[in-house]
Amino acid sequence: MPFLAHGSHRIRYELDGPKDAPAYVLVNGLTQYSELWAAYRDTLIGKGFRVATFDLLGQGASDKPELFISQDDQVEALRLLIGELGNAPIFLSGISFGGLIALRYAIEHRDGLAGLVPMSAFAELSPQLLLLGNALRTGLVLGGTSYLQDLLLPMNLSDSWLKPLLGNLDAVKRQGWLINDVYALQNLMESFLDFRPLTPLLPSIKAPTMILNGEFDFLTPRSLHETLRLGIPDSSLVIIPNAYHAFTLEKAALTADLLARFAEDVLAKRWQGNKAVWIAPDEPGGALIPFPEGYDHLRAIPVLKAAS
Amino acid sequence: MSQFLGPLDSAGRVPPLQQTRVASFLISAHGALARQLSVALPGQLKAGWQTELNAQLYRETEIVSLLMRATSWLPDFTLPYHALTWEAAWLPKPVGGVTDQKLAMTIDIAALGHAVHGAIRPAALLPVEASAADPFVVALRRIEFESSRLIQAQIHFLKSEDLKPVRDAVSAAVEGRHRQVRKLWAELLEGIGIRRDADSE
Repeated sequence: MPFLAHGSHRIRYELDGPKDAPAYVLVNGLTQYSELWAAYRDTLIGKGFRVATFDLLGQGASDKPELFISQDDQVEALRLLIGELGNAPIFLSGISFGGLIALRYAIEHRDGLAGLVPMSAFAELSPQLLLLGNALRTGLVLGGTSYLQDLLLPMNLSDSWLKPLLGNLDAVKRQGWLINDVYALQNLMESFLDFRPLTPLLPSIKAPTMILNGEFDFLTPRSLHETLRLGIPDSSLVIIPNAYHAFTLEKAALTADLLARFAEDVLAKRWQGNKAVWIAPDEPGGALIPFPEGYDHLRAIPVLKAAS
Repeated sequence: MSQFLGPLDSAGRVPPLQQTRVASFLISAHGALARQLSVALPGQLKAGWQTELNAQLYRETEIVSLLMRATSWLPDFTLPYHALTWEAAWLPKPVGGVTDQKLAMTIDIAALGHAVHGAIRPAALLPVEASAADPFVVALRRIEFESSRLIQAQIHFLKSEDLKPVRDAVSAAVEGRHRQVRKLWAELLEGIGIRRDADSE
């Protein structure tokens, strides 16, 4: 198991796939660990990509700083990992907290990325997200990792995913519970205490950007992704049908396929962001369709856009 | 080497030698915290967060009492040596770089508390088959659950604005205590056939 060194801390990472191929770097969500990208690894390597995964500081097998983990340190860890990948084109994607770290990286390293895919991500803490984050932190403090998982599972996954697992949820939660420590998760959450919105910095992102948002994402709803779409110049927003915040777990095959197609389009110079809004297919390989002309993609009911 | 306690008996209980070693370590660590808190806690509380320390003093005592009663003890002739090593490790070490000696001592106690409650996860040693009716199993789960609450007083104090001027010294003290506690815990676990580092997962 290889490790990168950031100061006195070790960051566990994994590189798979052909060495000189275009690479996808995948950044975990807050309570995740790198093994959760296994399906992506297989799909993307099968399509000719190299795949880099790692545990953020405070997660999984990486070191867990005892008192403070700054988001700057996470961006630096990501920079070290990307430095391991040589000169091949780099596509960077992250989910939720990992999406935020990916955005920060893209802002700070403007010329280094071939493409960016923030998923269930955000550039600012809306009042809802701030209060939800505070409540989740309180849940962690009072009830431990297991209770935090109890809150996140129904919030972030669909009935159809949860239903067959209802009798076996402890097994679903166990690896995440084993590998995450309360104080480390708390440190990750408290890295938001001095958070400043990235929104004013989004226009500096040069990389082609595909923003992925679950149709029913409750934690980071459409409005937060809209901020990204409006702020990032070469972007488009793709809505994943029937998906919640953690669609990378629930719809791994579809999401991995979307990642591969985005990178292939960018490399073939077919990609055009145009700040367009798309609806993803239900299954891998299906066609993306444009969001219906004239309707407001920020609404859950078909409301015509206000005339501008 | 396994990642978990066991092999369990047919009733899902942890082997008595493993119970004895794990309980001895936890009693030593939580007992040391209880002793240190009983000395360090002021007779008159001066800050709101100190109310947590008062609660913690009694929770640490409860953990010791619980383990005394929930463990299936076995004679273990290595224990005196281990206990001496552990007790020596828990001795207060005023944190360097802090001129106020009382504060330096309090930071060390908090650092040890952070390490004991943060780095030791006894419930994570239990295999899924461990019996939820067994008192030792329930005790380990309870201790880990309580630890995530008990650590909050340390976090509050160690991250406080009051300690900002000596933050580097505080961080070094906490890192040092974590390193020490993790090493002793890992040695103890290796002695009963358990390895939990990243390479074994």
